[in-house]
Amino acid sequence: MKRLSRRTVLKSAAAATAALAYPFQVQAQAEPLRVGILTPLTGAGGNDGPRMLKAMQAVFDEVNKSGAFGRKIEITVEDDQTNPEAAVRAARKLIEVNKVSVIMGTWASAVTAAVAPVCWESKTFIMTVSGADPITLLPHQGFLVRTQPNSRLQGTAHGEFVASLGAKRLGIIGIQAPFAIPTKEYLEAVMKAKGGAVVSHVIYEKDKSTYRSEIDQVMREKPDFLYLNGYAPDTVVVLRDLYRANINLGKFCQSYAVPQATLDTIPPEVSEGVMTGQPSADVEGSAYKSACDRLGLKEIDGYVAQATDWASLAVLTVAKAGAATGVALKDTVRKVSQGGGTKVYTAVEGLKALAAGKEINYEGASGPCDFNEIGDISGCRFRYMKVAKGKLEFLKLV
Amino acid sequence: MEHYLVAMGVTAGIYAIMALGMNVIWGMAGLINLGLVGFFAVGAYASGLLTLKLGWPIVAGVAAGAVAASLVGVAVALITVRLRGDYLAIVTLGFAETMRIVMSNELWIANGTDGLSGIPGPFRQALGPHGFNLLFLGIVVAATALLFFLFQRLDNSPFGRVLRGIREDEQVVQVAGKNVVMFKVKAFAVGTAALGMAGALYGHFTSYIAPDLFAPLLTLYIKLSLLAGGLGNNIGAVVGAVLVVFFLESTRFIVPFIPEISAVQGAALREILIAVALLLILRTRARGLIPERLAQVRIPPSVPASLSLKP
Amino acid sequence: MEVAQLVLNGVMAGTVLAVPAIGLTAIFAVLRFTNFALASHMTIGAFAGFVANTTFGLPIVPSLATAFLVSGFFGWMSDEFVLRRLRASGFVTTAIGSIALTIALENFVRFGFGNQMRGYDLPLRRDWVIQGLRVSPQQVENLAIAVVVVALLFAFLALTRTGKAMRAVADNPMLASIKGINSDTVARLVSFIAMGLAGLGGMLTGLDTTIDPLVGFRTILSVFAAAVVGGLGSIPGAVVGALVVGIGEELSLLFLTPAYRTAVGFLAILLVLTLRPRGILGQRAY
Repeated sequence: MKRLSRRTVLKSAAAATAALAYPFQVQAQAEPLRVGILTPLTGAGGNDGPRMLKAMQAVFDEVNKSGAFGRKIEITVEDDQTNPEAAVRAARKLIEVNKVSVIMGTWASAVTAAVAPVCWESKTFIMTVSGADPITLLPHQGFLVRTQPNSRLQGTAHGEFVASLGAKRLGIIGIQAPFAIPTKEYLEAVMKAKGGAVVSHVIYEKDKSTYRSEIDQVMREKPDFLYLNGYAPDTVVVLRDLYRANINLGKFCQSYAVPQATLDTIPPEVSEGVMTGQPSADVEGSAYKSACDRLGLKEIDGYVAQATDWASLAVLTVAKAGAATGVALKDTVRKVSQGGGTKVYTAVEGLKALAAGKEINYEGASGPCDFNEIGDISGCRFRYMKVAKGKLEFLKLV
Repeated sequence: MEHYLVAMGVTAGIYAIMALGMNVIWGMAGLINLGLVGFFAVGAYASGLLTLKLGWPIVAGVAAGAVAASLVGVAVALITVRLRGDYLAIVTLGFAETMRIVMSNELWIANGTDGLSGIPGPFRQALGPHGFNLLFLGIVVAATALLFFLFQRLDNSPFGRVLRGIREDEQVVQVAGKNVVMFKVKAFAVGTAALGMAGALYGHFTSYIAPDLFAPLLTLYIKLSLLAGGLGNNIGAVVGAVLVVFFLESTRFIVPFIPEISAVQGAALREILIAVALLLILRTRARGLIPERLAQVRIPPSVPASLSLKP
Repeated sequence: MEVAQLVLNGVMAGTVLAVPAIGLTAIFAVLRFTNFALASHMTIGAFAGFVANTTFGLPIVPSLATAFLVSGFFGWMSDEFVLRRLRASGFVTTAIGSIALTIALENFVRFGFGNQMRGYDLPLRRDWVIQGLRVSPQQVENLAIAVVVVALLFAFLALTRTGKAMRAVADNPMLASIKGINSDTVARLVSFIAMGLAGLGGMLTGLDTTIDPLVGFRTILSVFAAAVVGGLGSIPGAVVGALVVGIGEELSLLFLTPAYRTAVGFLAILLVLTLRPRGILGQRAY
């Protein structure tokens, strides 16, 4: 009895806050869309989680304001602490207490791999940026989609870009992570095909405050271009040490390692000329621009773009399916993300098209969001940028 | 809600098993082991690999996990046994970190940072998630009860008394003719076996383990469980573990009611709440909620009771 | 040549480690427990220096002084209100309590500043190349700062009345109290100085990298390794230990992948402790 009453209190409190937050919400009969945002707010991923969270909330706010959804959106945020054990506890709470039908925002591959079984066993949908190849190979029965390109897609595209800049001898320096070895292998294959080679590959420990000796090690084979495969904290240290050592090679970094906010923390001469690339949709698509405007930013990195797309896809899928369950999301997501329907670039635009009875194909800020049968994106373009005077500048779309 | 409570019950049970194991090493023998997650990892990986790669039955896997952790425990004890407490703390912390680094970088052992997934659980498919969690709660409670019973016996045995003696004053025990080194190694062997068993059970429960799992945070939670419950007694270990899980989880429900803070601030506040609560327990009840009951020295009365009762 | 460069890199990494390691060992010498709250005090110092540098536009040396004073103040307060009361329950309870404290303080910084990375407003200079060896001016400055701090600390301990009192307490608390030395005052002072050094070390680390709430946590294991290798409780030992760990981690690159650096630090601990169970310089405080 006691337990029941507490649950009721919690529920009505949640409903009350939701009602306060969105006074213009059309009070519809339909079951609300319950979203669990499980993202790193503390720990090693704490630098990236809050950015993704903001992007997701911005999309939901926009949808709520438009009044085009016809359902309430109940958001519950939990911190995954960048730790699989803590994340699993948080996921269970989201699923069993908040009854969410979708969990989005996990970052570390180990966290996603730990949370995924809890999700598919309880028929909850999960959307992630984790890049480890084995994640989509888990027996997830369709309950998982990943917007981050896998190592093959990413390694191959980045390799071609680097080769197109004239690199013949590529040096790789990065952290130990699930994507480290596969990325190196795909880069190697592309470089070889283009008549070049990967000449050195150094894996360093991620929490060190200097990488001088590691840089000497990667430079020993005289590479003419460097591929930095780490996260923001360590990439910044590598960039600083490269500058100090007066090594002026072309450098490629992951987009999530050098978002504008990170570039603002280092002297512009250190980041000058750094190249970065992220998955993207067609040029004519307005999704990327809308996502930037929604957040008031000039450029957004790959993680923010993907977070935007999860929120948009969840809303559109539920609208299309007419049900807000994990199973509905699993069965219907590909009916709004791909196919021959009208191309739409934001959630609100898509909702209007759906209301008009049209079939839609969402083209997102992070790419066309077409998923194959295991939940990987089947392909995307890459948007390349270059840092000039401490600012990210658009270079080209491939 | 009830399914959530069941899952948290399993977590609390696994914490309790670790706390019981830790209590033998730290509570009884007074040896500081900050490498708890390292032994947890050995158990989890041993059982995970044996059941996944060699098709061992789960029970055999868990037993092997406990044995493997115990063997590593003996090795660590033999290397460190002559170190003083504070040095021991840091060396064992280093052992756990080294374990994590090795498992991350040696991809051939267990897939490196990808981790091991698909570790089997008993009747996972047949029972469905809720049934499976209930069954596992039963298993974990049974395992906790079994260990509790065994360690309670141990505590009251001559072996337990020698360990306490070592904790209070090593030299006295030495003078009494006991092989102190041997007892310390044995305490490590017994305690780390429980840690390994907890790791193995965790792997079979969640089906996935990875080096990231073995971060020092878990060690802290167990240490705090023991301190909160009352170091040196088995009831305290179990109560403390349940209390810590209750605390970790209940803060999730409190923080959303605080207005005007961002999600990051909420997450920070949650960790502050957990840390402060435990500091408060340490400060107000230095010996834990359930203090260790030390056997009173019975001074025989001058007239034997049996005699005086005679009419 | 390569070895010389590695040793040089190791010396520079080691000197930055030495500053917080001295703090850790000083607390151990006087208060007899390992204070894990060092990590969060490094973070507090790094952020205090950041505010001084970017908000108030102070140059590097006054910013470092701010880092020292603010984290020293936090160290004093946390000892006064938290750790002092735990010390009666023994060194383990205090050490574990200090872990809880460090989590609380780290999140206190996170609550105020968020997770995003920040950098000091200081220009970055290219390395000097001397005889084919690369030396970073920043790291030479760090070295100079560390040397000056250590020298000041030694002078303080050797020459001043308070310093002598601190040494007396470290040597023999009982005797010191008989002689009328107030051990509470000494405890406050050592907490202030040690955590001030931690903050200074945090900012020195931040100068080389960027800062976020985890800046202290990232370096703490190496700091502990340094203090233990040198001999917990010995201040010269902390300096020697920091250099051994710094150079050892670098030289390990000759035969191991860089991914094993921290593991090498612990191997160094095991090796040293097997040969000398109380660290290289044993346990005299000065």
